[in-house]
Amino acid sequence: MNPSPEQFDRLRQLLALKRYEQPPPRFFNHFSDKVIARIETEGLVMRTSLWGRLFPDLDAKPVLACVYGLVITGLLVIGLGVSQSLESEESNAPTLDTPWFAQTPGPAFKLPPTAPVVRSLSEQTDSTSSVIPAFPGTAPRFLFDVNQLKVERASYSVR
Amino acid sequence: MNTHVLEKAPAPPAALPPANDQQEEQQRVKLAKNGDLEAYDELVRRYQERIYATIYHMTANHEDANDLAQDTFIKAYQALKSFKGDSSFFTWVYRIAVNKTINFLKQRKNKTHMSLNDLDFNAEHDADLVALISEKTPRREVNLIELQEKLNVAMQKLSEVHRLVVTLHDVQGLSHEEIGKIMDCNTGTVRSRLFYARQQLQAYLSDYLKSP
Repeated sequence: MNPSPEQFDRLRQLLALKRYEQPPPRFFNHFSDKVIARIETEGLVMRTSLWGRLFPDLDAKPVLACVYGLVITGLLVIGLGVSQSLESEESNAPTLDTPWFAQTPGPAFKLPPTAPVVRSLSEQTDSTSSVIPAFPGTAPRFLFDVNQLKVERASYSVR
Repeated sequence: MNTHVLEKAPAPPAALPPANDQQEEQQRVKLAKNGDLEAYDELVRRYQERIYATIYHMTANHEDANDLAQDTFIKAYQALKSFKGDSSFFTWVYRIAVNKTINFLKQRKNKTHMSLNDLDFNAEHDADLVALISEKTPRREVNLIELQEKLNVAMQKLSEVHRLVVTLHDVQGLSHEEIGKIMDCNTGTVRSRLFYARQQLQAYLSDYLKSP
C-alpha cells in the first residue's frame, strides 16, 4: 500500500480531532497543587545544604568548581611559602644543631673545696679485681658515645 | 467520563518555549533544584497539559493519564538533581513521561480497557471536521462518535512506539527533531516510524478516508 500525501492529509485532519478530547473542566486548576502536595507528603522536598546555598552554581558548572579548587590550592601554596620564609628568618636564632648532651657545659657551677673528690672509674679500679675495665685510660666524653666504646674479653678467676 | 466542551479545536501546542522563556525556565529549574517548590509549581503548570495529553492519547484513559502525569512530575522532581541542562527541561520531562507510559502499557497489555471520551459537542461545528465528514467520507451517515471510536481503536492497534510518534507529531504538533530527542533516536527513524504508523492507520480507517 502506498498512500498519497492527500490521503495522509485527511488522516491528519482526523487525528487532529483528538485534540478535542480533554479532561473534565477545571481539571488543570488543581493538578499542580496535587503534585506539590504529593511531593510534600512523601517527604521528597529537597533541602539545600549550607554549601549548596553558598555556592549554588558549583554543581551545575564544573568549570566554576575547577576555578574554585585552583583558588584554594593557590592559597595553600602561598601559605606554605610564607611559613617557609618565616622559618628561614628564625634560622638565625640559636638552634639545637648538636645533641643537647654533647654540648659543652658552661662554667656555671664550681664545686666547693670541701666537696668529696670524685675519681674517675679507671683510678678506682682495683688491680686485684678480675674485672678489666672496659674503658681505656680516658673515660668517654659522655655516657652513650658508641665510638669510644670497645668490646674486650672479660676473664674471671674462680677461687 | 464526561467530556470537556471546547469552543474550537485546540491548536497544537508550541513545541519549545522561546529563548526568553528558556532563560526563565532555566532559572526556575535552578530554584527548584535548591528546594523552591513554587518554582517547580510553575514548571508543572507550564507543561501539565501537554504531558497529560500525550499520556492520555497513549493510554486512552483519563484516570490512568492523571495518575501517570502526576507520577511523571514527581519522578522529575526526584531526578531534578541529575538534570544537567543538556536538553531542555521540556524534552527531559517528556522523556520521563514517555518511558513511564510505555512501561505502564506493557504491564497493562493483557488488560485492554478503554474509557475514551465522547467528542466535544462543539467539535461538530469545526469547519475542517464537517468538511471531512460531509464531503470526503463515502459513508456520510457516519457520526462523529463512531468516527472517533474507529480512530481510537485504530490507534490502539498500533505498537506503543508507533502510537507515540503519531501522537507527538500529528496530535501534539512536535517536530521530527524534537520527537527524536524525546525518543532518543534520529530523525530518519522518526520519519520512517511515522510513515509506517500512518500507513497502518490508513489501512484501519480505509472506509472513512477513501476519496468519493
